[in-house]
Amino acid sequence: MEGGKVNNGPKILVFSTEKISDPAIDMAGLLKLHYPPTVYTISVPCSSAIKPIWILRALDQGFDGVFIAADGTDCPYSESCTDNTGKIVSNTMEIMKSRGMDPARLKMAAICSVCSEPFVKHVKSFTEYLKNHSKN
Amino acid sequence: MKENRIGVYICHCGGNISDYVDVNKVKEAVENDEGIALSKTTIFACADSNQKEMVEDIKEQNLSGVVVASCSPKLHLLTFRSVSERAGLNKYNYVHANIREQVSWAHSDDKIGATEKAIQIVKAAIAKVKLAEPLEPITVPTVNAVAVIGAGIAGMRAAIELADAGSNVILLEREFFIGGRIAQFDNLCVSNETGKELITRLYNEVMSHENVTLYTGAELVETSGSVGDFKIKIKVTPRYINSHCAKGELQKAIDVCPVKVPDEFNFNITDRKAIYHNYPSEYPQLPVIDMKNCTRCGECEKVCSSIDFSQKEKIIESNVGSILVATGFDPYEPEVGEFGYKTIENVVTLPQFKRIVHYAKDKLLYKGKLVRNIAYIYCVGSRQLDGENKYCSRYCCTSNIYAAITAKKQFGNINNFHFNRGIRTYGKQELLYDESSRMGDIYLQSFEDLPPTVESVNGKTVVKINDYLTGGKELEVEADLVVLVTGMVPRKDNSIEKLLKIPKGRDKFFNEIHMKLRPVETVIDGVTIAGACQGPKNIMESMNSALAAATKSFSLVDSGELAHEPIVAIVNADNCTYCDLCSQACPFDAIQMIEYNGKSIAEINNSTCKGCGMCIPVCPTNALDLTSFTDKEIFSMIDAIANHS
Amino acid sequence: MENHYKELSYDVLVVGGGIAGGEAALNLANIGYKVIIVEKELSIGGKMILLSKVFPTLDCAACITTPKISEIDRHSNISIFTSSEITKIEKKAEYEFVAIIHQKPRYVHIEDCTGCQLCEEACPVNVEDQYQYGLVGRKAAYIPFSIASPRVAAIDIENCTLCGACERACPTSCIDFTQTDEYFRLKVNSVIVATGFKLFDPLKIPRYGFDRFKNVITSMQMERQLAPTRPYNTILRPGDGKMPDNIAYVLCTGSRDKSVGNPICSQVCCMYSIKQAQLLMGALPMADITIYYLHIRAFGKGFNEFYGQAQEMGVEFVKGKVAKIKSADNGNLFLRYEDFEDGIVKEAEHDMVVLSVGILPNMGIDDVFDGEDLNLDEFNFIQQSDPLASPAKTSIEGVFVAGTASGPMDIPDSILSSGAASAEATSYLRRIKS
Repeated sequence: MEGGKVNNGPKILVFSTEKISDPAIDMAGLLKLHYPPTVYTISVPCSSAIKPIWILRALDQGFDGVFIAADGTDCPYSESCTDNTGKIVSNTMEIMKSRGMDPARLKMAAICSVCSEPFVKHVKSFTEYLKNHSKN
Repeated sequence: MKENRIGVYICHCGGNISDYVDVNKVKEAVENDEGIALSKTTIFACADSNQKEMVEDIKEQNLSGVVVASCSPKLHLLTFRSVSERAGLNKYNYVHANIREQVSWAHSDDKIGATEKAIQIVKAAIAKVKLAEPLEPITVPTVNAVAVIGAGIAGMRAAIELADAGSNVILLEREFFIGGRIAQFDNLCVSNETGKELITRLYNEVMSHENVTLYTGAELVETSGSVGDFKIKIKVTPRYINSHCAKGELQKAIDVCPVKVPDEFNFNITDRKAIYHNYPSEYPQLPVIDMKNCTRCGECEKVCSSIDFSQKEKIIESNVGSILVATGFDPYEPEVGEFGYKTIENVVTLPQFKRIVHYAKDKLLYKGKLVRNIAYIYCVGSRQLDGENKYCSRYCCTSNIYAAITAKKQFGNINNFHFNRGIRTYGKQELLYDESSRMGDIYLQSFEDLPPTVESVNGKTVVKINDYLTGGKELEVEADLVVLVTGMVPRKDNSIEKLLKIPKGRDKFFNEIHMKLRPVETVIDGVTIAGACQGPKNIMESMNSALAAATKSFSLVDSGELAHEPIVAIVNADNCTYCDLCSQACPFDAIQMIEYNGKSIAEINNSTCKGCGMCIPVCPTNALDLTSFTDKEIFSMIDAIANHS
Repeated sequence: MENHYKELSYDVLVVGGGIAGGEAALNLANIGYKVIIVEKELSIGGKMILLSKVFPTLDCAACITTPKISEIDRHSNISIFTSSEITKIEKKAEYEFVAIIHQKPRYVHIEDCTGCQLCEEACPVNVEDQYQYGLVGRKAAYIPFSIASPRVAAIDIENCTLCGACERACPTSCIDFTQTDEYFRLKVNSVIVATGFKLFDPLKIPRYGFDRFKNVITSMQMERQLAPTRPYNTILRPGDGKMPDNIAYVLCTGSRDKSVGNPICSQVCCMYSIKQAQLLMGALPMADITIYYLHIRAFGKGFNEFYGQAQEMGVEFVKGKVAKIKSADNGNLFLRYEDFEDGIVKEAEHDMVVLSVGILPNMGIDDVFDGEDLNLDEFNFIQQSDPLASPAKTSIEGVFVAGTASGPMDIPDSILSSGAASAEATSYLRRIKS
């Protein structure tokens, strides 16, 4: 497209989960709770399945931030999901730090299956943060 | 490398998408991409005519993959997978792009932004479908048995239905007596049958089926496995009374027991002993000793030979193909002081009132005083302005009007004052409201933000209201009894919810997948919900949902075999050095060590792997992938959205 | 005559191909029973397929209905007879019913029609479109509606002039005026009655001026105006095509009204009116919407919250009873109503009025039963013989009821009641073996 992209706000990749957080993000749409269209979602079975290299790939490819909409205690697979996802996030943050990246470009929050409003609040405030801390 | 021939369909959803997303622009943005054989827009992708067109397209154009950009995959992923299958394309060569819930609706305030996002989302789906591998479903044998949790009316009815259809049923009741709330409510409208009679009928039918096993005092304490084959553990608490006993002796044992505790069956308006039954003809017809309150004084043993304190708690293990949850509701328990509850003596709840009427003989007395004026305060615990319960409890208007009419007919000389917020006797129940008005019951309606008040004035209980129907005039009634018409709330005991991971809705009741498409299923495969645990219902509505849930559970276990999604972890043998981290991360014991080409590597058991992917990030050598979510596929989607063209 | 019957045999007959009948048929077909659906209209899908969106989730009705319909349509255990009526059902013995199906000619070969609509273009006849509730016209050669199933043409022979234009236009030669009525003798083991409901006819309340005043419409007409396959592609008042900006809803039109013979509440009108009000606020952001009501029955899961949402959006709720509607010269309407808040009779001006019409029983199904009687309740809905323990049972063993045939109910309740009917039928059929 000529003249650059229309959506020029910070680009955020959300990893959502098929059974828990994705329905909440769907419901945000249903309730017309608007959030920036520069927020994109890739849905996976469980937030504990997200590999650090996926997160790093997104950041390397130009996403300003990655948001993990975690299953939290609602995870249908395991009670240890919150801990597991937490570990993935902290490990990735260590790698980010070692590469001189701002670890706050990765964010995680548990989003239950009806947590539409919290989701929208999170991505809005994350967008604000990324706007104010842009790479340049 | 196979040649890509991808078909892309972009749905208008009759305006739901196309009002906000320029679908033609989306089509134009992708139609010339490499590997795109065709791209179309369609008014309703899910309509039969379009499905037929897709089948033809796939066959005629020899498509290798299909993307439909439409609503949430929760609605139509399966629809389009089956379209692919019908056309002879492997259903995993279909990828769904959600441009409604997550694009057009979410960004209805920004059409340009929404269109741009839709393009990226569709490009990501195209990138993924190019890499998608055809997969075959993994089949697992199913156990033709269903565990029904809760032996109230819904659970018993579902159990009967399942047994009739030919499944084995394990019916669990946490209490020592079956029947749930309906035994307590007893007087039922619509029918001349009492709650106890209804329960007796259902119980006899349950017991007449050889393929139903009923456990009382039983709790589900552990589950593993999944749809088709759940392994369940049930803890059965003993009654401490042998089933063979002389009836007279048992009554003596109850009589001599010195312990007195509030009787929850009667909503604490009476006391019971530590050895007790709920009512004389309840089921099973054998009292129980409540060990939490028993002092082991031994008095009962002296008069009754059936008492047996040596009975032990038992753990029973079983396998079932599906779990049907019918755990019911709790009546709302008002806060202390809410409309005078527990602070003013003659304020009771609707369930208590029903028990009071039930036990009253020829006069309606409360704490020894004759009751003539009754004030009913509606929507207590429902439709709350400040509290969390925003929902309507559905059954209470009708139930209360019926109780009020019954009291009036039974005792005469009763004045009913209904302090309501708009009566909701929907459907045929309207006639009851009509009848009560004709009988002279007085209806006073409060303003939404101005509830009535209950005060104690000089020893009298006075209910005041600004009555909507008389232009806000302040009216007051001196009441002999105030009945708080309490609604339904989810069970306080949330052990089942925690054990089975059943998600809850905004109202905190168990949530169905879709109110109209899949109203009795939960996101946990194989777990169905029936009755008031899903939301407030009256008896008939509970029965309908119980039967619908039984049908669903039956269709899961009946076939003998279930196909489950082939989304499983895969091991790259070259990279794997077997460190055991993956097997520790697996919640389902699906990973073992095997010897392969002279070294130890991990192996995935495909029939127990649930495809959660918890193992894949923990591998230090990145030797694990998840089918459909491989690094390649995820990277291709990330790159497509990042738009590095 | 007898030997003209074609013989058919199935496990279960489902009378009515609306969402309730369809759901019951699917449940039974999925566990292996052979099911026949007999539908009197040209398309299955009943009333729901014609709705705009559904409360309280605002899912579009078509998005939920069409995939179900197509699943029913292609299920190998289900056969569908459209434009067909059951004229007789006789119970010969337990598990043995014989029914007569009368299939009216469509004058189109369903298999050959591609739904290209060239016949529609060619047809010179214009008549009122019953599937758009009379808001627009259609041809005598026509496809019922865009998401109909089957989505193929039919000839409305009553209005057809036999000019032959459609035959000439049809590229597949599927139009066939030689088709005649066909009769089938059907043997089944069990029957599910899912004959649905009909809407109250507001002509029965002349003081509301329906038909006399063009800008007084029914809620079903508004439903069509709001549907994705809507006739005008926007909201218009029929009198003069003006976009309305002050719309009134009159609830309980034909419900809770002994004077029209229907004392009961229709259970859905409050909610569908609130839904339409919300949709109208989206479609016409400047419009004022007023709902005149007696009591708001927002009782189902998420309903009360939905009602609250409408109040927050600015929908005006007036507790009052509308006595009379008068028309002004400019097509606007004056509503005389008793305001219950202060007991005063008032008058209000609106530019469009929607009558929220109630649900009435579809009569006649009891007449086709021969031998044993299918009992009706006092409102002429099918009587549930054991409403508390077996809500789908009727007075005839082996005949079950699903959906609104037994009384007013919303879509979720209809779906559950279909689950109950298919469950009861399953139990009944299983007993054949034993």
